[in-house]
Amino acid sequence: MEAFFEFFSFADANVRYVTIGSVLLAASSAVVGCFTYLRKRALVGDAVAHAVLPGVCLAFILSGTKNPFILLIGAFITGWLSLICIDFITSRSRIKEDTAIGLVLSVFFGIGILLLTAIQHSGNAAQSGLDKFLFGKAASLVGEDLIAFSVVAVVLLISTIVFYKELTLLCFDQAYARTLGFPVRALELLLTTLTVFAVVVGIQAVGVVLMAAMLITPAAAARFWTDRLPVMLLLAALMGAFSGIAGAFVSYTAPAMPTGPWIVLIISMIAILSFALAPGKGWVARIIRQRRNRSLVLEENLLKLLYHLGEQKQAYTVAHSLQELLQRRAIPEKQAKAGLQKLKSQGYATKSAEGWHLTTQGQRRGQRVVRLHRLWELYLTQYLHLASDHVHEDAETIEHIITPELEQKLMEELSFPVLDPHSSKIP
Amino acid sequence: MILQVNDPVVEVHDLTVSYDRKPVLWGIDLTLPAGALVGVIGPNGAGKSTLVKAMMDLLPTGSGYVRIFGQPINEVRKRISYVPQRESVDWDFPASVFDVVLMGRYGKLGLFSRPRKADKDAAMEALQKVGMEAFAKRQISQLSGGQQQRVFLARALAQNADIYFMDEPFAGVDIATETAIIELLRIMREQGKTVIVVHHDLQSAAEYFDWVVLLNMRLVASGPTERALTQELLEQTYGGKLTVLSKVGDLLRKQEFPSREVKS
Repeated sequence: MEAFFEFFSFADANVRYVTIGSVLLAASSAVVGCFTYLRKRALVGDAVAHAVLPGVCLAFILSGTKNPFILLIGAFITGWLSLICIDFITSRSRIKEDTAIGLVLSVFFGIGILLLTAIQHSGNAAQSGLDKFLFGKAASLVGEDLIAFSVVAVVLLISTIVFYKELTLLCFDQAYARTLGFPVRALELLLTTLTVFAVVVGIQAVGVVLMAAMLITPAAAARFWTDRLPVMLLLAALMGAFSGIAGAFVSYTAPAMPTGPWIVLIISMIAILSFALAPGKGWVARIIRQRRNRSLVLEENLLKLLYHLGEQKQAYTVAHSLQELLQRRAIPEKQAKAGLQKLKSQGYATKSAEGWHLTTQGQRRGQRVVRLHRLWELYLTQYLHLASDHVHEDAETIEHIITPELEQKLMEELSFPVLDPHSSKIP
Repeated sequence: MILQVNDPVVEVHDLTVSYDRKPVLWGIDLTLPAGALVGVIGPNGAGKSTLVKAMMDLLPTGSGYVRIFGQPINEVRKRISYVPQRESVDWDFPASVFDVVLMGRYGKLGLFSRPRKADKDAAMEALQKVGMEAFAKRQISQLSGGQQQRVFLARALAQNADIYFMDEPFAGVDIATETAIIELLRIMREQGKTVIVVHHDLQSAAEYFDWVVLLNMRLVASGPTERALTQELLEQTYGGKLTVLSKVGDLLRKQEFPSREVKS
């Protein structure tokens, strides 16, 4: 807890820098990732992320320093090379893109690990810390590194704002963009370059192995909350930034911990929560909707049942015992009781010593369900030419969802019928 | 019956297009008059969409050239508009109807500049023309097929072009939309625009178009509807594939052989 306050008071200048750095890196890769995601090139980001490792190692071997600019250039070159390889393989052979990505990713990463191991065994004094590229270490973002990477991150953010219109068009409808005269090849190149840069700066915090998560996960999570692209970009940036701060915090309090896995776990938690809780599309919203549907069906079925019994006796508000109801329709007793209680609390039914009654409103609603049921049966026999013994099951579900407008339309199309296909009166 | 016109708006000369080395269009030579409503008609796999895409330079061509208003297409992009097939994009994209229609103005804006108020007015006007102004704020994934088609049409209208290429605008739309679209096309023709439409329904072709292009891997006919849409020519178009032609195409693909010795 103490560490928490110590960190979030930002009193330590080092903490401030690390936090700013992580936020910028995570936010910029999240924003670029939104476009990669919308272009359905998520896997390409993963391939680039793995392919920068040999570049970093080669740059180190050749220069002998850990100067961030030199390592960046190395990373950029092999990242790019991997994309060219993927393009070349897909266009010149029968191999499909997903296979090509898998091939390129593993070959480049394999070479990267090979070089990294060679460096670690070479006894070079400066080699310590290169392995942070594997799993990331946000706390090492200080001094020159921080400035270099932050500048790139800011450039990335600005580029996506400047090219917002063009990138959107490219992601939505590439062919149309060409007919408008936009330089589509150049824009593709731009987006690829932005992706490579986002990966190259992001690996400082997350590491190559998990970098793809930083590109794609915030975009996928943000998409659940909104249908508007600007909002999606902003949300993705915020989610990325939050996980960035969390990663920096972990890196600060537990220096032995690799930051990448923590950042990825946190952004993944955000994504899972988004899938679950997002309004309309989330799991929870869907479960609630289904429950509501089920209880609506149960209530209306009970009302219909009471109405049917009343119809036989031509007396709608007389009492019926629970047993009588259950004999007529197989509803589990517990459910029936709960449903009746609910109808009672809603004012559609009452309970007396003899059993359950419909109220006047309950009778109206029961009548409407029965009417819709019989109208739909009639519609199916007349318009779909279904046999009259086949239509009951369909009407059992449709009766619950027909709106008043549709009901009116049905009445008109059937020219205000009196009897259903089974010669029952349509109430 | 291949009628060539003077001062054509579109001139296609010796156009051959291949997919994966297999030619799907062989040596197309055709000219189209200004202010016509042109239907490109033929069976499935005849290369109708391919012809339109090749005209718009969306596909690499094996030979030949296309001139629009007497110039290469890249010189006259601002006067040309394209309505792609509805299925060619992902309608789950996070954009509103208005956002998509506004894209029609991007060509005029060029790189870097943002849509101005006048562009938004033009987009709204285009939406009104297709009767979709009430849907401006709607997320595009919530549209029906006919509404999606209208949105694409509005996007093209917002461009204020002189020539329109439309790929199957009547495919999978409701009757109301079909009537609305054809009305719109007729108004455009009256304003002197040229509209080229890929169409798959023979029944309505005679009624909709005043010029037809009959296609089945090669050009069968190009001319005014009453002269080109004849029983005999239709039989040539729909009377099965030319088996030797497609066998040769298959061979070219298998042997990885170029369809022309040198690319002209």
